[in-house]
Amino acid sequence: MTFILDDLLINPWLSLARVLRSTAIQEAYDLEAIQDDIKENQLLYEIGERSEEEYRQRREELELELEVAEQARENLSGQVEVKR
Amino acid sequence: MTANHLYTYGIIDQEDVEFDVDGVNGADRAYTVDHRTLSAVVSDIDALEPEQSDANLRAHDEVLGEIMDSKGGRTVVPMRFGMVFKGAGPLKNVLRGSRSVLSRTLRDIEGTVEMGLKLVAEEGATIDEEAVREDVAARLTDVSVEEAENGRFSDRLVVNRSYLVDHDHQEEFDDAIEAIEAEYGESTIVRYTGPWAPYNFVDLEIGVDQ
Repeated sequence: MTFILDDLLINPWLSLARVLRSTAIQEAYDLEAIQDDIKENQLLYEIGERSEEEYRQRREELELELEVAEQARENLSGQVEVKR
Repeated sequence: MTANHLYTYGIIDQEDVEFDVDGVNGADRAYTVDHRTLSAVVSDIDALEPEQSDANLRAHDEVLGEIMDSKGGRTVVPMRFGMVFKGAGPLKNVLRGSRSVLSRTLRDIEGTVEMGLKLVAEEGATIDEEAVREDVAARLTDVSVEEAENGRFSDRLVVNRSYLVDHDHQEEFDDAIEAIEAEYGESTIVRYTGPWAPYNFVDLEIGVDQ
């Protein structure tokens, strides 16, 4: 929340809606978080807590998520400031 | 299509070497391309950008492992996955341009291997993570040459480090890991891997003008 207030103080013309939208994009398309999930999936498979099928299925989901996030960030970065 | 590009696994001191391998993109032979005191270990490949699949990543690691295991333990500067050159000429240009840094790196890592250590908290276990990390670091510092902290990408990951270990101290390092396992094996899963080519201890920026 602090950085939203900071942004509003620094850029008083920035509407709250726009800041919130930017925040939502950051959270929805958090590339690092998805990459961490990919590594965690691999780790859980390696220590035997996830079957090969579960691992493959989850990895496919995450790779798709990553692709969508990368594309979305690329498309949106020109429209709103995406911080990370 | 002919396989007219060169996939590069790593760099060794100059030597003519040829291996039968299960290489990247199904390559069955790895061989060396030389420039003066250095040799790049390569295989022929069609693609300029091979897919970063599990099979290809494993193949890359396995070929590096074979190089390291051969001839009683060769030192290799590992390349990251996906280094492809359009032919021997461009590769030799890179070897020429990076010769001093590659030679120095080969000397720096000579006689060492990389070992990986992860301690993963058992589900629901209560652990003083900071104390475990400090204790593990203290036990391994004296029996390793160098260490690298890797990311803790999971809440359950208590320790994630790579260690550069001297061949001559491998046994002491293994013993220290055994002691760590005995101490923390109840509350964590200890994952000890290697030997790997020293990826985490080689910091090279090699210009690739394919």
